[in-house]
Amino acid sequence: MTGAARRSTQRRAGYVFVRLGLLLMILDGIFPAVWLVLTSFKSENELTRIPITYLPQHPILHNYLDVFTQNPFARFLLNSAVVSIVATLICVLFASLAGYALARLRLRGRRALLTAIVMTSMFPALVMLVPLYRLFVGVEVPGLSQLMAYLHAMGWSFLPTRVMTPNLLNTYWALIIPYVALSLPITTLILTSFFQLIPEDLESAATVDGATRLGALARVVVPLSAPGMVTAGIIAFVNSWNEFLLALTFNTATNMRTVPVGITLYQGEFAFPWAVISAAVTLGIVPLVVLILAFQQRIISGLTAGGVKG
Amino acid sequence: MTGTRKTTPYRKPGFWRRLRTGNLSDGQLGALFLLPALLTLAAVMLYPMLTVLWQSLHFNRLNQPFRGTPFIGLENFRRMLWGEGLTWNLSHLLWLRLIGLALLAPLIWVVRRRWLSPLSGIVLAVALLLLSLYVLGFRPGPDGRWTDGRFWNSFSITMVILVSSVVGSFVVGLPLALLANVASRLRWLGRVALLLPWAMPRVFAGLTFAWLFQNQYGVINDVLRHLGFQGPLWLARVTPAIAAVNMTIVWKTSSFVGLILLAGLQSIDASLYEAAVVDGANAWQRFWRITLPLLRPSIAVALIFRTLTAIQTFDIPFAMTRGGPGRSLETLGVYIYNSTLALNIGYAAALSVVLFVISLTVTLVYLRWIYSE
Repeated sequence: MTGAARRSTQRRAGYVFVRLGLLLMILDGIFPAVWLVLTSFKSENELTRIPITYLPQHPILHNYLDVFTQNPFARFLLNSAVVSIVATLICVLFASLAGYALARLRLRGRRALLTAIVMTSMFPALVMLVPLYRLFVGVEVPGLSQLMAYLHAMGWSFLPTRVMTPNLLNTYWALIIPYVALSLPITTLILTSFFQLIPEDLESAATVDGATRLGALARVVVPLSAPGMVTAGIIAFVNSWNEFLLALTFNTATNMRTVPVGITLYQGEFAFPWAVISAAVTLGIVPLVVLILAFQQRIISGLTAGGVKG
Repeated sequence: MTGTRKTTPYRKPGFWRRLRTGNLSDGQLGALFLLPALLTLAAVMLYPMLTVLWQSLHFNRLNQPFRGTPFIGLENFRRMLWGEGLTWNLSHLLWLRLIGLALLAPLIWVVRRRWLSPLSGIVLAVALLLLSLYVLGFRPGPDGRWTDGRFWNSFSITMVILVSSVVGSFVVGLPLALLANVASRLRWLGRVALLLPWAMPRVFAGLTFAWLFQNQYGVINDVLRHLGFQGPLWLARVTPAIAAVNMTIVWKTSSFVGLILLAGLQSIDASLYEAAVVDGANAWQRFWRITLPLLRPSIAVALIFRTLTAIQTFDIPFAMTRGGPGRSLETLGVYIYNSTLALNIGYAAALSVVLFVISLTVTLVYLRWIYSE
């Protein structure tokens, strides 16, 4: 065999190898989801048959109907959507403000501040559980309460003696507030590195042309940073949509549950209705799949800025 | 007549004037912009952190309100690490300090003279501390047990998951990233396959894999059956359950590692490879000499985040087996959750502090390693 021929067979072998790897990878990533979808079309009868069937023999839609009739699943979807979208918007707003300050302004110790913000993400959500629960049940507002008590004693008896923060449990705010905080470190990191990429000259040029500082910010920086905000927003949305523990603890009323928590309601004490659960999980990951299909390159480039909790 | 022209000296514009005209100074704008984010983080992260620290020093069982919440110092930690049989008092503390001074002072001196590296100095100091604790009588309790067995069990299972899932996610994640970067018609599908496990909620991943690992009707045992093996009762026996949970975590997290590495790969200049090809380097050499060294920052980032999330492992074991069978898969996270459910708030807080200290140590070690490179 000549050298050239050997090289070409080698290349072909390499090509086949890569193709095989790619197929394996697609199988690895998608198979569990595909299996869920297949399971969701099978009847309970078919699921408990040996040998197991791979493709559904008699595809049924009944499981999807059960998802909506056994529990208010539409309500879960609505709750998840409201909480995730509001949390994402607030988070991106706060993070872009902070990111701009950290990337552009001459502040003392801004690197240390960014490190501190990113470091808070190593504080597990689990640990915040009890203190946050207490905070959301309602605590006495420290200074205000004493003041009120004093005024009350002075004869202003129409005033309340205790000033409590509102009880936020079983409201959307009980989830929105912690979700904003949970996604803030990573979105701030992404947006800071994004703002650093926008040339500073553009902004100063606008100032020279007569724009005020805030005007330059609104007309020049914000439009240019839109792609970075979209990336940060997707990551914040996925984080909020997926959160489980806080949602499990803070919102215990059935009609305030989010999708990940709601799905655990389908498990009985001993029974595990896999078909219905599969249908519910399938519905729960549809928004995520849509996001992935629409924004795959944007997400990947956003992750260049740093890490994301996995 | 030459009138004296009134000159107003230049005055720096005040805050309100700057705000009105829209020209704020850097410091003012910075304070304004950073405030919302910092306030949120303070309320949701800092406040709980301080509360947890404070509560870990207290006895607090919500189901025994008559005992109040007295301050008990480090008692929670002693119970966790050394068990019930031990007590210690003020004279112990005094002796510990004396011994510490007598042994540590020369050690510090030796390290400063650079006769010993700082790392071996730290290791020696810890060894000396343990030795002096032993000399002072910190030994297993009268029942022969060192510890809160549940704590050490959860600690070791967390470490097992930490090591195996971090290593596993890199072994799987690196090929995934390399494959997703190859130009091919199937690339978009490959990227979807890479993104899907990352975007999937951990609870969903746990449930999905619990179904795949189901012993009678699950796919995995069916495939094993076709290959002529008898699959184990995956989630009902200790060793298979640990393996199954680890595989699930690796599946879920390898995509995250893959994504970070893919981002790193995309930032490598293609001309480097072309130059290497001209110089006659084969694919293997290109990988070892170009890809891997340039991928180092991404590897470090992925490693840090992956390790930190592995220490906090909760959702997947919880969704798959509720920490079972028995307590074999009760990670530190699950143990904290269970202690909270048992209304033992003080102890749960102490466990949280330990978890936090472990995370902090790991981060500091990694950061040192990165900066030293």
